[in-house]
Formats: sequence, C-alpha cells, structure tokens
Amino acid sequence: MSQIKKTTASDLIMGVLLLAFGIYLIVESLSMKVFNSFLDAPGFFPFILGIIFCLFGIVMLVGSIRGGSVAATKATFRKDNLIALFLNPESKRVVILSFFMVVYIYGLIGRIHFAIATFLYLVVTFWYLKSTTWLKNVIISVLSALLISAIFQYVFKIPLP
Amino acid sequence: MFEAFAQQFALFGSAAAQAFGFPQVFVTMIATVAGIVVGAVPGLTATMALALLINLTYSMQLATAVAFLLGVYVGAVMGGCYSAIMINIPGTPSAAATALDGFILAKQGHGGQAIGVGIIASFVGTLISILLLIFLTPFLYKIALKFGQWEYFLISVFGIMICGNLSTQSTPLKGWIVGFLGFFTAMIGLDAVYAFPRFTYGSYDLMGGISLIPALIGVFGISEILSVLQEDVPYSIESQLGKVLPDKSMVKDVLSTAVRSGFIGSGIGAVPGAGEDIAAWVSYDVGKRRSKHGHLFGKGSYEGLASAETANNACIGGAMIPLLTLAVPGSPPAAMFLAAIWLHGIKPGPMLALESPDFLYLTAVTLLIATASMLVFGLLLTKPMVKVLKINRKILMPIIVPLTVIGAYAGNVNIFDIHVMFIFGILGYILRKLNYPMAPLVLGIILGPTADISFRQALMQGQGSIIPLLGRPVGIVLMVAIIWIFISGVKNSRLQKNTSNNQPI
Repeated sequence: MSQIKKTTASDLIMGVLLLAFGIYLIVESLSMKVFNSFLDAPGFFPFILGIIFCLFGIVMLVGSIRGGSVAATKATFRKDNLIALFLNPESKRVVILSFFMVVYIYGLIGRIHFAIATFLYLVVTFWYLKSTTWLKNVIISVLSALLISAIFQYVFKIPLP
Repeated sequence: MFEAFAQQFALFGSAAAQAFGFPQVFVTMIATVAGIVVGAVPGLTATMALALLINLTYSMQLATAVAFLLGVYVGAVMGGCYSAIMINIPGTPSAAATALDGFILAKQGHGGQAIGVGIIASFVGTLISILLLIFLTPFLYKIALKFGQWEYFLISVFGIMICGNLSTQSTPLKGWIVGFLGFFTAMIGLDAVYAFPRFTYGSYDLMGGISLIPALIGVFGISEILSVLQEDVPYSIESQLGKVLPDKSMVKDVLSTAVRSGFIGSGIGAVPGAGEDIAAWVSYDVGKRRSKHGHLFGKGSYEGLASAETANNACIGGAMIPLLTLAVPGSPPAAMFLAAIWLHGIKPGPMLALESPDFLYLTAVTLLIATASMLVFGLLLTKPMVKVLKINRKILMPIIVPLTVIGAYAGNVNIFDIHVMFIFGILGYILRKLNYPMAPLVLGIILGPTADISFRQALMQGQGSIIPLLGRPVGIVLMVAIIWIFISGVKNSRLQKNTSNNQPI
C-alpha cells in the first residue's frame, strides 16, 4: 500500500514539475535570439523539448490523478509520515553521507591540499559508517589519501584539484 | 571483390599487429583481471569503472587506451557472475539473471562449476559477438553513409525512445522523460550553429556546456555509492566452492543454449542503450521457453545460468556495432568507451571506415585478446575471487569518492566539473529511487547535439517542410519504428497500471 502511495504521489509531483519545466523551456526558448528563421534559431530545439515535457507532464498528472494520487500525496505530506521519512535510517544515512560529500567537494577541495581534504573526508565517513576500528580508520584514511594523490599525480601525471 | 577482400585482410593484419604489440597485450590482460575484480565486488559496475578510468587513458596511445578500456569492460561484465553465484548479489546489474540459478547451484555445493560454466558461457558469447562485429559492421558503414540530416535526427530520437522503452521496469514514459532530460542537458552552453548561449545564466563555466564525463561519473559513480551505502545489510558467502572446471558433458549440454544466447545478446547489444542486463533477461526468458528442461530454470539449471551469462557478455560486441557505425552506443559501458575514444580523436560514424579504417579491427582483435584473458584468468582466479567478495564495502565505497573527484576534474582541469559531477550524482540517486532508468539519460546527453543540429538543418533544407523525409526510405523506417515504440510503450504502461491496480493492496 505505502509503496503504491509513494509511487503515485511522486508521479503527481513529477507531473507538476515536468509541466512547469516545459512551460519554462518554451518561454525561455521563445526569448532567445532569432538569426535567420525560427527553424534554425538556437531556441527551436529547446522549444520542441518544452512542448514534449509539457505533454509528458500532462500524461503523468492525468495518470496519477486517476490513480488516486491527490489523496496519496496528502497522506505522504502528513506530519507523521514526514517525520517517519526523516527518521528512516536509510534516508538519514544518505543525507549525512551527501553532507560529508558537500563539505569535501565544496568546502575543502581547492582550499586545502587534495590529500589532506581526502584524509579528512575518509576519516569522518569511515567513523560515521562504523567501517572499522579508530586505529585502522586513521591508517586506511592516511594510506588511501596519500596513495591516490601520489598515483594520480606522479604515475598517471594527472593534476590534482 | 578480391581486391576489397585483400584490403580488409591487410587492415586486419595491421590492427592485429597493434593489438598484439607490447604493451597492448600486457595492458589488456592486466585490465581484464582488474575488470574481473571490479565486476565481482557488488556495487562496482562496468559502467562506473569505465567512467572512472577514462581519464587515465589521456596519456596513453590509442591502441593502449583501447586495450585498457575493453579489458576492463569484458572482465567487469563477466566478473559480476562471481558474486551473483556465491552471495546471490549480482556484482553488476547484468548478472542479476545469473543469480537465479547460480546461487541455488552454489547452495548445493556446485558454486565452482557454476562459475566455470558462467565463464565459458561468457567466452562463447563474447566470441560470437566479435564475429558479428567484424562481419556486420562494414555493411552497416555502407548503409550509414547514405544517412542525411533527417536520418541522424531520427536515429537520435529512436535511440532514446527504444532505450527508454527497454531499460525501465516501470512505465516506458519514465525512460523517455529521462532521455529527453538528457537532450536538454546537451542544450546547455553555446549553441553549435550561432554560438548563442543557451541556459547559461551568464555563467562562463556553463557556456562550455555540461561535460559528458563528469556527468557520467556522477550518474554512475556518486549515485551508485549512495545507493550501496544507504543499506546496512551484511551478506553471507557460500563457502563450499567445489571443483571449478565443468565436465565435458556439462559444457556440451549448454553449448547450443550458449550459441543461441550469443546471437540474442549481440542483437540486443546492437539496440541503442539497451545494455547487458536486458540482454541477459531476454535470453533467459527465451532459453526457458525453448529448453526441454525449461521447468528447471530458476531451480539450479546450468542451462539457465548459461542463457543469462552468455547474453550479457555477447552484448559487448553487439554494442560496438551501432557505436562504430553511427556513434550511438549500444549500452552504458559502451557510452563510456565512446567518450574515451572521442578524447583520442576517433570519431565513430560512417566516415570512420574512411578516416580510421583499421579501428574496427583494432577493437575486434583487442576484444578477442580480452575474451581469451577473461577465460584463462577467470578460471584461474575463481578461488581467490571468493575472498575478494569479503571486501568491506563500507571501506571500499568511500575510497571511490576521491577517485570520482579526480576523474571529473582531470578532463578540463576545472573545479566546476567536480560540482557538475556531484549534482548529477544526487540527481541520478533521486531518479533511481523513483524508478527512472539512467541509460536513456546518458544516451540523451550523447545524442542531444546531433538531434538538435540535424533537426534544424533538415528543416532548413526542406524550407520548414517535412515532405523531403517521405523520399527517404531509411528515414521512413525509423519514423515508423519511433511511432511503433511510442504506441507499444503507451499500451504497456496502461497494461502495467491495470495490473498494479488489480493487485491486492
């Protein structure tokens, strides 16, 4: 029951998003410069894509509404369901792991040396995942960070970020 | 006739000399072993491995790069059978059908022989696909040479429509949506005709467009890492391996199945974006219906195992046929191979026969060496590979993240590409969770520029009319095929909806 509910609710949301995206593409493409004729203008193909996305959005919306998606969406966004979703161990793990990646990619890389950034990322991720003991965690993180950096920089001659 | 044959033979000879030269043979063997290891570890796929390794080939010569990538490709597709058989978790999605019979055989203590049969079946499958690649590609070159703008536009649309239709277990609509999203992604950046910035919002980084490799690494690397790490399920390994080499009678029994599956796998491989997993499932289904012992499929049948395992490897050669003739990859790993050879200045398509006439044979001979290496090392490494399956994924997967970062960065030496990779990774993860397939997205990004330019030019040549298309037989066939795929896809969607509505809740 809950899986079907989730599917129809996600279909409804996707339908709305696709319709909005399609309209945006149409508006944006019509505002692009026309050099000779609209048929070879830069906005022509995005315009066609906009129409296609609108059609897909409508098909999804109609299908999901017929499948009872409005009630399913309301149920999905009920407070208890939202709390359950956020407390779900899988969702929590993905959010936290993605956060570590965000810090690594947007916060550390390019600001400190790649090997140090990688070491910090690995230590924290292994610690969170309880991958191994603390001592092994530090050893594996140091070795991995140094080996990856050295192999790419000196063996494969690839510049590090 | 004789002259043409002699010419092709000379080209084959020169390609074989390159492929068998040093260090190519050595690189092929090492890469095949590496591919086997990668494929065996659940969560590491052939596509992910190729996406990460593309940038390593920058400094290599073309023949070495081809040896490296094809070795990994062949090894990784076969490697998936170890974990499918021993732990009931396919190392790669293409080995999912293998697990049905393989794991039951392993539980009966015949895991070693099941792996042996799987490796021999993979060998037969790849061999058949190489033969088809060699003999069919020259004919397709000739057909592709007659392609005009309409045909290129329609083949691009056909590619994502058929890929969207086949690659999703949900409704085909989801596959098509993702395919057209790929088309949109390819629109970002400077327009190829007027250099007009599209969807760049004043960003200089976006003017260069979304680079293919960072997007691919994100979709197949980051999203895969998140998918694997989200679960905290340990798996148990069947420790009874038994003997590895199958009996002669066993090989004899599965040979006809393997040959049939080889042709099925090659055929499905040649369908744009379809991929190894679809080939394995279709072949398994056909095998079950055609076999005298079909009732034993799913209960520990060597024939069932061979049906799936032959077809997924046969897909490799098949996927190279549209890739070399039309620049349309037949599977996601083939898309990575396409991106890699672009970096080396090879432009697949009908002109490849004129510009780099020996490239077809270089690909075929390298595949042959990789296939032979896969057979030998696959059988030799069976026992150590069972130990590889015990690798802690909670250590392995985080270590791959820095590799994805370097892989995304190395191409243009631009931090922006790392950001693109991460965004595509998250997007890929969300889409996967909602049952949207990833293969059409990749195909859309690759074929988007062709579709855009060909469509605009075709319409300009016809002064806005589509009537010139009616005088082009290949174009009409493609058009009819697209309409047919659309109608059958819509019908399937309705059927699926009715079935799910009728299911007890």
